[in-house]
Amino acid sequence: MATLALSDLVGATVYDSSGTVRGRVRDVALAPQEDRSHPSLLIVKTQRGNCLLPFTALAQISGNVRAANSASEWSLANGIEGLLLLGRDLLDQQVIDVHGRKVVRVNDVDFYQDTAAKNPILKIEGVDVGARGAIRRLLKGVVPGGALRALLQRIPPREIPWDFVDLIETDPARRVRLKISHDRLAKLHPADIADIVEELAPDEREAVFETLDEEVAAGALEELEPKVQKSIVESLDSDRAAEIVEEMEPDAAADLLADLPEDRTEEILVQMAPEERQEVSELLEFRENTAAGRMTTEYIALPVGATAGDAIEAMRNFEGRMESTSTIYLVSSEGTLAGAVPLVKIALAKADTPLLALSQEPLIYCKTDAKEKEFAELFDKYNLLTLPVVDEYSHLVGVITPDDVISMLRANM
Amino acid sequence: MSFLRRWKTRILLILAVVGPGFITANVDNDANGIWTYSSAGAQFGHLLLWTMIPTTLALIVVQEMCARMGAVTGKGLSDLIREEFGLRITFLMMIGILITNFGNVVGEFAGIAGSMELFGVSKYISVPICAVIVWLIIVKGQYKSVEKVFLVASFFYITYIFAGVLARPAWLDALVATVKPPQLAAFKGGSYLYMVIGIVGTTIAPWMQFYLQSSIVEKGVSRRQYNTSKLDVIFGCIFTDVVAWFIIVACAATLYLHGHRDIRDAADAAQALHPLAGDYAYILFALGLFNASLFAASILPLSTAYAVCEGLGFESGVGLKFSEAPAFYWLYTALIIAGGAVILLPGLPLVKISILSQVVNGAVLPFVLIFMLLLINKKELVDEYVNTRLFNVIAWATTVILIGLTLALVWGAIKGSG
Repeated sequence: MATLALSDLVGATVYDSSGTVRGRVRDVALAPQEDRSHPSLLIVKTQRGNCLLPFTALAQISGNVRAANSASEWSLANGIEGLLLLGRDLLDQQVIDVHGRKVVRVNDVDFYQDTAAKNPILKIEGVDVGARGAIRRLLKGVVPGGALRALLQRIPPREIPWDFVDLIETDPARRVRLKISHDRLAKLHPADIADIVEELAPDEREAVFETLDEEVAAGALEELEPKVQKSIVESLDSDRAAEIVEEMEPDAAADLLADLPEDRTEEILVQMAPEERQEVSELLEFRENTAAGRMTTEYIALPVGATAGDAIEAMRNFEGRMESTSTIYLVSSEGTLAGAVPLVKIALAKADTPLLALSQEPLIYCKTDAKEKEFAELFDKYNLLTLPVVDEYSHLVGVITPDDVISMLRANM
Repeated sequence: MSFLRRWKTRILLILAVVGPGFITANVDNDANGIWTYSSAGAQFGHLLLWTMIPTTLALIVVQEMCARMGAVTGKGLSDLIREEFGLRITFLMMIGILITNFGNVVGEFAGIAGSMELFGVSKYISVPICAVIVWLIIVKGQYKSVEKVFLVASFFYITYIFAGVLARPAWLDALVATVKPPQLAAFKGGSYLYMVIGIVGTTIAPWMQFYLQSSIVEKGVSRRQYNTSKLDVIFGCIFTDVVAWFIIVACAATLYLHGHRDIRDAADAAQALHPLAGDYAYILFALGLFNASLFAASILPLSTAYAVCEGLGFESGVGLKFSEAPAFYWLYTALIIAGGAVILLPGLPLVKISILSQVVNGAVLPFVLIFMLLLINKKELVDEYVNTRLFNVIAWATTVILIGLTLALVWGAIKGSG
């Protein structure tokens, strides 16, 4: 095994089987839809124009390139849309380092060369984002080759393994053709995805959100700054935007839609599933800086007579988020708030214990029109996990969760 | 309800967009700008006023190109140069920008030293203290709150407009000199040519292009909001050059008229405000110069560190810790320390150094412009937002003329010395 850098290869002289110089390597091409880590072709600049030279037709790569066939067999590089050109598409561009969770710029691409094989086969080892690749490219051809290699050996490499590299392609047609997806990125925590996305340019953000799974996209979108959220949703098609907004928490979705131009909000709402649409539209009616504007309508409410066992059963069937289950609410037959039971008490109680006996005393709640400051004070004073919101008839209409209060306080910090 | 919401969105939109262009333009009238315009007026009277209209036009075109590129691509200028022209060219460009901007940083510290000397504070005290203040403002993340103070204080420039009026300049002559094309014979004098390049270099400084584009990107201005940004840029450019015009006129009516042609320190330049503030002119001038210098001294090293690190792919950002972005913070710190240290050398001609840095600006600008022009005309990069023919003509003409003037200056210097 030997290593080789893309910048060593580009510009190398190419000989054909007769030993005649036929041209120079212009780029190295990868067909990621077929094989993500083994480049398939060299693009060679010859007198006839740019030709394609498959790796299977190579005899040797060492300083220069020797082909195993004659130059007349090399086809002209016409249909290269389905190829990723490492020099053109990767060098100097930004990629996502999924492991390091940040956006980096590519200085060089490193290959392993399998010297044992009959044909020289290259495997992409990773992208160089450190000084070594930069210095190699800056000094190549300026400093004698031997001295440069000696210098480069002293520089510790900063390389991102190819498996952790997530490519960003802003052209949708190319994205599909090259099968560029964000599977690796999608495995990160939504908050980390959000941090990465904030470092990208608008077109690139759009590209990421077009390809991410809706649920992951929704999670990441919630973590973004409102300004960035808005610009992303505005750049997406309304049906794609609706798919993502549907998966968001209703209160976060309502906050986001409230910031968009009205016709855009309508377009997105129309495309959403009826149930989510209704929840979000109800929240949209409320002013953003009141309890009603901040609350979520995703919570568990049980009849006054329910037992701890009923609560556990209700949680098993609950499809919302885990945060929403930290308190279970009790409501009368008319829907008025009758009790609030923390999850811990339910877990510790016997299955037949009536929930009402476990309810918090006093029962803390706020009205829909309560100001931000009021309910933040309630959270602070009573060390609440969640705060129920009631309307003028004392009906339970929603719940404020601590993440809402924290982001609200941070926004004012 | 919907009516209110529509208005809320609209007002927020304007507030969100107004800014980068105006701020950049304000920083443009930094210590280096004040020295250069003052010297132009003191040395040549109204003879250089003709530069104002073409320079303003070029400034608007160039800044608008940056703002447009920022809004459309969402990327900074050095990012784009790197992505489109590769590492080697970017590296050379960044070295050039680093040297040029360093000259400007030195000029800002010269402004701090000069203004504080008017209050009798030695530069050996004022420069180190201000260097530490500037460093702390950014590293402690307080820049955004301090920026407002700088912006309000930069209304000091308006005093030049009053001073210009009160000095009773020869209005007709000044106006005619503004629109009358220059006589070619004037260019034969090396110092005249030097000053012309300095004026262009200080008005359309290379750092401004990097700074404005990054600010537009950071503000998240989108394609749709771009028209508001355009107004912001145009307004800023006109404001900065109206102030420049009045600085030249005020200096011509006072310093030039009284035969005080050679500005050597801040006390000389302060005399231009004499008609307005009488014996207090120097206080007014010193405060204004101090604010302008400190404002630009906080922006320039930072903007340089950002541009260089982005272009070369180093981690950058004031949100990161020192250990997370060492190259960025070291570069930033080194620019401030070295910039301040140069000024502490004894017996340095502060004003001459400041103007020299602006002439270097003028000589480097065409190279930045060439890259900007190549980038903004790439359809695959900016779609339909490529330059119109008029913009291309103006920007290319600026580039070619500046290269020509610089070559003439170099040629003259060689001939003069040989």
